[in-house]
Amino acid sequence: MSEMTQQRGRADPAVVGETLVEVKGLKKYYGGQGVLADPPVKAVDGVDFTIQRGETLGLVGESGCGKTTLGRTLVQLETATEGSVEFDGTDITELTGKQLKQWRRNAQIVFQDPESSLNDRMTIGEIVREPLDVHEVGSPRDRRDKVKDLLASVGLQPEHYYRYPHQFSGGQRQRIGIARALALEPEFVVLDEPVSALDTSVQAKILNLLEDLQEEYDLTYLFIAHDLAAVRHICDRVAVMYLGKIMEIGLTEELYTDPANPYTHSLLSAIPEPDPTVEKERITLPGTPPSPRDPPEGCQFTTRCPAKIRPETHEQLDAETWNAIERFREVIRERSRIDLSIRNRIRRRVGRFSKYDDIDETVADLFDGTGVSEEVMAHVEQAADHVKDGYPNRAREYMGEEFDSVCDTTRPDLYTVSPTNRLSYCHRHTDEYESVDSVLGRQSDGE
Amino acid sequence: MCATLTDTARDRERQDETTLRERIAANPEPAIAWSLVAVALIGLEFGAFIAGLLLVVDSAVIAVTALIEVTVGLVSPSASESIVGIQQAASGTLDGFRSTANSLPTLLSRETIPNQGYKTGPNGPWENTFLGLEPAVAWAIRAALVYAYAAFVSFWAFRGWKIFRANYRQSDWTPRDDVIDRLDGHRWAQFGIIVVLIFTTMALFAPALGPTTVEQNIQSPYSHELQYFDAEDGEVRTALVGDANFNSKSKGNGEQNVGPMTYDDFGRFHPFGTLTNGRDLFTFAVMGARISLTVSALSMAIAGLIAIVMSLASAYYKGIVDLAAILSADGITSIPQLLLLLMVAMAFQGHWLSDVFNGGFLLALVFGFTGWPGLWRAVRGPALQVSEEEWIDAARSFGQRPSVTMRKHMLPYVLPYLLIYGSMAVGGIIIALSALSFIGSGLGINPPTPAWGRAISMGREYVSTQSWHIALIPGVLIVVLVTGLNAFGDGIRDAIDPESEGGAEEEAAAGGTAG
Ligand code: SF4
Repeated sequence: MSEMTQQRGRADPAVVGETLVEVKGLKKYYGGQGVLADPPVKAVDGVDFTIQRGETLGLVGESGCGKTTLGRTLVQLETATEGSVEFDGTDITELTGKQLKQWRRNAQIVFQDPESSLNDRMTIGEIVREPLDVHEVGSPRDRRDKVKDLLASVGLQPEHYYRYPHQFSGGQRQRIGIARALALEPEFVVLDEPVSALDTSVQAKILNLLEDLQEEYDLTYLFIAHDLAAVRHICDRVAVMYLGKIMEIGLTEELYTDPANPYTHSLLSAIPEPDPTVEKERITLPGTPPSPRDPPEGCQFTTRCPAKIRPETHEQLDAETWNAIERFREVIRERSRIDLSIRNRIRRRVGRFSKYDDIDETVADLFDGTGVSEEVMAHVEQAADHVKDGYPNRAREYMGEEFDSVCDTTRPDLYTVSPTNRLSYCHRHTDEYESVDSVLGRQSDGE
Repeated sequence: MCATLTDTARDRERQDETTLRERIAANPEPAIAWSLVAVALIGLEFGAFIAGLLLVVDSAVIAVTALIEVTVGLVSPSASESIVGIQQAASGTLDGFRSTANSLPTLLSRETIPNQGYKTGPNGPWENTFLGLEPAVAWAIRAALVYAYAAFVSFWAFRGWKIFRANYRQSDWTPRDDVIDRLDGHRWAQFGIIVVLIFTTMALFAPALGPTTVEQNIQSPYSHELQYFDAEDGEVRTALVGDANFNSKSKGNGEQNVGPMTYDDFGRFHPFGTLTNGRDLFTFAVMGARISLTVSALSMAIAGLIAIVMSLASAYYKGIVDLAAILSADGITSIPQLLLLLMVAMAFQGHWLSDVFNGGFLLALVFGFTGWPGLWRAVRGPALQVSEEEWIDAARSFGQRPSVTMRKHMLPYVLPYLLIYGSMAVGGIIIALSALSFIGSGLGINPPTPAWGRAISMGREYVSTQSWHIALIPGVLIVVLVTGLNAFGDGIRDAIDPESEGGAEEEAAAGGTAG
């Protein structure tokens, strides 16, 4: 098989820094077409990055952050809404028909769920052979031989050719999925959480296999995972994603030891320390991520960021009060997305709206006994009144005017934060504001 | 094992790579033994077998030309006439072949084991019957042989599959094996399968099963004669079948009844008795089975084909295609079926299309084209579910064509559901067909061609009299068949139900040790 690789003129993997995939301004929205439709789900909301030939780029984020969508868009299982994906200089989002089919040989994907990724009415041989049949590689006999080679190289046996997926364990099924992805000798493989559905004992074996295969076939990987711990050893570089946006991207070790972005900080603090004696500051993120239908106007992380920049007027508020305000705004935000029934609209008109009166309880829960200043409380009450009147949008605007900072109103830029060209998406990297480290450090000291 | 696999071992493994023919050549005994019996079985009925094939081809020719004709007829009547010409020529040729095939002697024919004859004296021996036996016995032998033959053929076919599985298949286990194994202990499903087999046999062997033929007894009784022993005169006389029928009516009162398992005055044996017009109910019922099963199978084939194509396309493409499928299904459902049947019956009155299968073809078309939304609704869910599986994405990611993806990766999962709901819906069509024939008046199967519904309609008045058999027997046949079809559907559902699947770990362990 190595012969074939050379025939296709694969570059020497030692040559680093050659870009294989370049993603520019990529967006993927779902739905939202038509006049009456809900706003679209912004699964991927403008990302830029490159993947170098031969490297493994990790893509990490909580579920629902758009990482899987991004991976699927890179192999053209989803059509980009906007932006481009250049593969070896060709914009693949523009490809159609024959060209697209031809290009597909270059990029394959390994799926997360080995139960669902293999058609269990087909034998292993048929499954792994199918890509070869589609692209009519060699004679039928060649294909069969090649499949047996592939099975051997992923650690299965040739006689498994005539078995059915039912007869295999999860780890073995994942090996089969990997063999299928490699059948066409792709240059680029998206690994969509390839081990997260497997037993821990099997995970390491599959990861080792993936590394061996990368070396053998000069593969370039995009490794998708839901937490940072999983990717540390396999990835050269890591990109951290939140709500459709890349928050930080850079060399793995550097990002682990010296994170720049507040979100990376909080993700890292969530990894349990193997040594229990080591004291570690944990940042627990409050609240839940906002809906991707209605992401914040400014920084995506603003509703939960532990280092969020505050407006000057409220610089002095204590952390507890500030957190209560953020949670209160989150509740208002949720309310403002609910459509009212006609009946409730009429009641709102005539001032007899009562559906949202329970907002008082929320206020009590959040603010009672926190020693909130009267000034803040007045604002909160005013906003609560708007909600009770049935206008959560007004409350949202009102709270915005009072408590919005640059984090809420303006999208940050990607700043270069290290000599190795690490990038981080945060306003705090400008000189205007206190640095992330110092803010987070101060917070943990204060406790 | 993988690690120690040497090159020679792998080469040997590769040489094991064989075609089915090579595998049979390597171990021919089971295949030869099986084939010899199979050939003998076919040989016994070779003429009927070929005739049956030709009948299917003939029907296909008629169906296809009919569709073309109707479509073309909308544009140019003259072109459609020439198509009718072609069709008649083709069908005529096939008919010729068929009669040749039919004239080949077969074991299970009325000629080999005749049951129609006459007594030469009051107690005297029977003339013209099989071995001089009395007609009831001769008929019973023939009917029993037919069913024995059918049972053995089914058994042999199943055995053939088992031999293939044990000797020639490369996979030692497939998911289908589990389905079959689960049917093994499923009494209800087996009841369904047996009922379906009994009725299929009835339909296939209808001409050989009846004590008389449709042509003689029902279609043109006044063109056929029979001989019988006249007890009053004490001599053998000749009469027209029509006149004999006239004197063998079952009308409930006193003299006028020929019940099940009795002879009439003309020495004819009636296993199910006679109809109100003196015709043989058994002959009528088995021919009715043939018509009912053909028409409902054809409607189901049409409906199933549309349903499966629609459901796969809408599940694969979703969005606008799905919407189009929903709209057209709703549109079709909103047409009242009876009204449509009336309209079609009116529109095609006198048209040759209404004579194909004695009106059954037209009915099948109407049932097929109006029946698919029901099936489509039943299989749309499973189709959507399988379309969410990652192997569909995998197929897209290496550029598999959508049509192949649907066929290879979706169809196998949707088909069982079609079989389940189809076998249950077929019961509905059989009942609807009978209902139409029951109503009569231009709907349903054209008389005098047998139809279960018409027998029920005839016998309706006599249910409480001694002629109860006229309505009751066809009614029981319908009930048993519909129940059997439902049992069959239930059985398949249980057999493919993943819930009842067990021992996943053991299977995984059997897969080997790697990973
Ligand atoms: S821009 Fe503001 S909200 Fe976003 S990460 Fe930086 S500090 Fe936090």
